Amino acid sequence: MGVTCVCQVPLAEGKSVQQTIDILHKKLEQLGAVKQGNFTVDCETYHATGNASGQPTKLLYVMHNSETPLSCLALFEGGPCLTADGNFDVLMIKLKSHFQNAKGHKVESRGSRYRYCDFLIKVGAVTMSSSARGISVELEYCPCVVPGDCWNLMKEFMQSFLGPSIPELPSVFATKPEGLYAPADCVDTMTQYLELFSKVRKQQVLPGTTR
Amino acid sequence: MTVFMRRSSQRAEKMADAMNVGVNLEAFSQAISAIQALRSSVTRVFDSLKDGMKNKETLEGREKVFITEFQDNLQSVNRDLNELERLSTLVGRPSESHPLHNSGLLSLDPVQDKTPLYSQLLQAYKWSNKLPPLSRRFIRRGAELPTGFCRFHIKLQYHAGLASSLLNQQSLKRSANQMGASAKRRPKVQPSTLVLPPQYVDDVISRIGRMFPDMSIELFRPNGTSAVLLVTLGKVTKTIVVMRSLFIDRTIVRGFNENVYSEDGKLDIWSKSNYQVFQKVTDHATTALLHYQLPQMPDVVVRSFMTWLRSYIKLFQTPCQRCGKFLQEGLPPTWRDFRTLEAFHDTCRQ
Repeated sequence: MGVTCVCQVPLAEGKSVQQTIDILHKKLEQLGAVKQGNFTVDCETYHATGNASGQPTKLLYVMHNSETPLSCLALFEGGPCLTADGNFDVLMIKLKSHFQNAKGHKVESRGSRYRYCDFLIKVGAVTMSSSARGISVELEYCPCVVPGDCWNLMKEFMQSFLGPSIPELPSVFATKPEGLYAPADCVDTMTQYLELFSKVRKQQVLPGTTR
Repeated sequence: MTVFMRRSSQRAEKMADAMNVGVNLEAFSQAISAIQALRSSVTRVFDSLKDGMKNKETLEGREKVFITEFQDNLQSVNRDLNELERLSTLVGRPSESHPLHNSGLLSLDPVQDKTPLYSQLLQAYKWSNKLPPLSRRFIRRGAELPTGFCRFHIKLQYHAGLASSLLNQQSLKRSANQMGASAKRRPKVQPSTLVLPPQYVDDVISRIGRMFPDMSIELFRPNGTSAVLLVTLGKVTKTIVVMRSLFIDRTIVRGFNENVYSEDGKLDIWSKSNYQVFQKVTDHATTALLHYQLPQMPDVVVRSFMTWLRSYIKLFQTPCQRCGKFLQEGLPPTWRDFRTLEAFHDTCRQ
């Protein structure tokens, strides 16, 4: 596990989500990347009940990543986070009285996984209640563990296949440019996915993309 | 002139006799056809057994016919075998004087294109015969002339000695040891740089470790007196350096997040890195340890190597000095110039 950056890619002019994804795949294959399977990242939202009135409801997010299939991550936005094994989902069902599942708010990103030299690139379609809402790209540079060291290198690589739409430095990196990335439990990666999913939830439904 | 001609004719006669006393060619071809006849009569025996009894009116009739046929076949086999034995006595033995002793029998192998052993052996023999007169005198001085194979071996040793003296002129040596064609003469004084007390090695290494604040060197001795160093460079790499007294023998560069210990808890000094960038840096480090050479001052060599290795602390941050980019075929600039320590891509260095 190395430094990972998650960003949202705008749709190409006049193309749908699937067409833009195909364009990205083609560009990656032209560079020399090799497809290595599929990936899934999803996020479920739970409302914490039993709060004192007047306080905003706290939202608990439970996320899964196919890179760590036996674990799941539970976190409050901007708050503490917990890494647990797969049985945590069952536990949440038992805690129905305290946490209610907002079923319509499940967001997931599904797509293909590519490997190029020491880079891992995942291009996925972000869907919310089976309507495509956008495209997520996750780029991981495996050999490096310090985000501050390799950000320029990663930007150069993203430029080669994303073109001009390069993201800026993720906020997770800004807080700890010299510190070690947290590889073991993918907390930093999942935090970035959470930010992306929250942005996507607030967006309008894209025209012509409902299935 | 006549004396010369008489001598040459005598020599020719001797050669012809050698040929004639050997194989009787006519009897040989007759023996081959006798073998074929024997084979066919034996086949007839088995065929008749396989076919079994022919269809006749009575059981007795069938049995009688079968038995007479079987007896006829066996008698023909007997006849052919006797004929073959008679012919084999006439064929005679081939000549005993082999110029190449047993290896000449290799020429009897008919499958020439798959196993061209005999022709290759002849070529090797001819090559080894091209000796300067000096070495022939050397061999003749020996009390007994050894057999063909031993002679071949001695010639090879001589050629190997010539080759090693030629190569030694290129000064590829990193240690101050004397090795050469005169292997029998042992060096009377052991060179001091190869046998150093471990305490001295420890001192040198710890002094070098203190030179650079962002590089930490740990010393292990898992296999006897050879030191194995684990060099941690910032948060970029973990390098394993295997030493032989104060000479650097091998090095393996791995990533900071890779495991340096094998399953049984020992330092893993063999497996390559999982990342292509560090595999490339390992190759460059091997080039570096061959480049920095000073047989009489190995501690200076170690210091230069460590200084060179330390330049990798900015492996992911430095663009290439030549093309200005960070990535070339997915790799950052992995080459560090030996004098200036500037960063280049592997394909960008001259």
